[in-house]
Amino acid sequence: MTEYISILLVLALINVALAVSFNLVLGYGGLVSIAHPVFFALGAYTSGLLARDFGVPVPVAILAGGAMAMVCSVALSVPALRVSGDYMVITSLGFQLALVHIITNVEFTGAAGGLTGIPSAFDGALRSPMAVGAAALLALACIFGVRWLMHGPYGRAVTAMRNDEQALASLGRSPMAIKVTLFALACGMAGIAGGFYAHHFLYLTPEQFSTFASTALLTMVVVGGAATTWGPVLGAFLITLLPEAIRFLDMPISVMAPLQGVLFSLLVLVFLYLRPQGLLGGSRAGGGVAAWRGTGAERRAAVEVKA
Amino acid sequence: MFTAPILLQLLWTGLAMSSAYCLFAVAFALVLKVNQVWNFAQPALFVAAYYTMFAAWQWLHLPTVAGLALALVFTVAVAMALEWCGFRIFRLRRSASLTYFIFTMVVSQLAVSLAELFFGTDNKTLTDTVMSPIHLVGPVAISEWDMIAIATTVVLVAALWFVMTCTRLGKQMTAVADNPELASIYGINVARCYLHAMVLAAVLMVAGAWLIGTKAPMVPSSPLNQFLIFAVIAALLAGIGRVFAAGVAAVVLSLIQAFSILVIPSRWQIMVVYVLIVVCVLLFPQGVRRKARRKPLPPLPSSAANPATSATLAAPAAANANLPVTTP
Repeated sequence: MTEYISILLVLALINVALAVSFNLVLGYGGLVSIAHPVFFALGAYTSGLLARDFGVPVPVAILAGGAMAMVCSVALSVPALRVSGDYMVITSLGFQLALVHIITNVEFTGAAGGLTGIPSAFDGALRSPMAVGAAALLALACIFGVRWLMHGPYGRAVTAMRNDEQALASLGRSPMAIKVTLFALACGMAGIAGGFYAHHFLYLTPEQFSTFASTALLTMVVVGGAATTWGPVLGAFLITLLPEAIRFLDMPISVMAPLQGVLFSLLVLVFLYLRPQGLLGGSRAGGGVAAWRGTGAERRAAVEVKA
Repeated sequence: MFTAPILLQLLWTGLAMSSAYCLFAVAFALVLKVNQVWNFAQPALFVAAYYTMFAAWQWLHLPTVAGLALALVFTVAVAMALEWCGFRIFRLRRSASLTYFIFTMVVSQLAVSLAELFFGTDNKTLTDTVMSPIHLVGPVAISEWDMIAIATTVVLVAALWFVMTCTRLGKQMTAVADNPELASIYGINVARCYLHAMVLAAVLMVAGAWLIGTKAPMVPSSPLNQFLIFAVIAALLAGIGRVFAAGVAAVVLSLIQAFSILVIPSRWQIMVVYVLIVVCVLLFPQGVRRKARRKPLPPLPSSAANPATSATLAAPAAANANLPVTTP
């Protein structure tokens, strides 16, 4: 039972790191990328392969996974954001499907069968508590790192970029540079979380990183409250623990996965309609989906219509 | 390997297979033009149509026409619900475009999950067999399905063209696509036009689902993982607002994918589509357009000679001057 709880706790804390990193892109940056789980996958596979096939020490491999995710994020964001933020969602969808297809079809990643034999980050009797401690450290570093970043001058520039790119550009800042950097930072964090996941759970399959994972991640951020510090944390814990409650109903796996998909999708829809600010996004703070006030042109149009 | 019969066969097969993609792309581009929404929820319409037909034919053993009618009613209802309970509300709230993206993607995922829950994740076809009688025309094998698919697509696209260009509804939809505020001032029911665009898209989806389901097996996630990407690229290549060009782009893309089998293994064929997304976004973000020759403007009728015409022209101009800035 203790082992089960510690596994669940590690998973929840890794999800916290992932959700916080996604919140950086979606909540604070106002950029919709479907492909965030794929950067988690890139970190996981890179780290797992480096440690397994090249004997790279686990911490170095995890950092390399983060670096790989960061580099690949630039490859995605530069062409997509060069045109318009709207193209991000389209390109990211293609990027995710392509990468999952590649992982499923090449031999060195274990193909559809999955990657096995990944070295563990911790061994011995204290493996579980050490893993929980390390996952907690990772999650806290992500939470407070993002909080520090978004409450400083850079955070104000990011908010300005999200709310009115043209106004920001008129002040001499480059919205494109901010977007690419923000995206790279978030993807790097996701990559590190992925590396940690690989060295704890020791098995990876391409199915874990499909569009279903994107929906789960979206649910964590929207339900908890986008553009807030603690919203994604609450969302990650809820979305990790909710399927466990269903698990006790003892249903076959063929029913479990789609049922989770239905629940997650319905949760996002309910929150989009009834509480777009999420559970922790107060109306005064302007958190949640309500924090996206549209482009400058959209808001000017709204003001003129009201007038 | 590159012999004429093989190339001809690939051309024909690619053309026939492009029919469903063409319908998907046209429906996507229509909603993008009129409703000004990247409707990533379109796979939900496809899934609704496909599995209603599956249930009607495989479970209830209803006749073909009854299954089609049932699918039509259900898919149109889903499309209307999407517009009425989704897009309309977000429009009233003046939600940011990101809300639409999240909403549409999540609706698609919901439809896929529901289909997986009730129908399973394995491949399914709409009919017991997908074999179709084949006729040899010279070196090219032409199946009856190929001819039905092409004919259905041509008829439906032509009907849509007629609706868009020759009917009052089509002209109203075009007006709404151009400028919803101005259309509203002229007395056009904008909300109804949005609804009609969704209904038309639903009709095209039913036809597309029927064609796909009688040719090859499909899993619930196929429309989201495969067809949607196709439609998005076609809409991008055609340029926003060019509905029928999106259909042509879908046919071209399908042919590129069909011919790619000559140079790359079949399991990597789908990668062509994914690579094309990046190419489109990088090189053709505004679509592929032929540079239009600037025609000289016709002389304006003099107000002295025709005061009635002058008044007609002046009214919209005055209305236009008081209009708010619209979202591009």
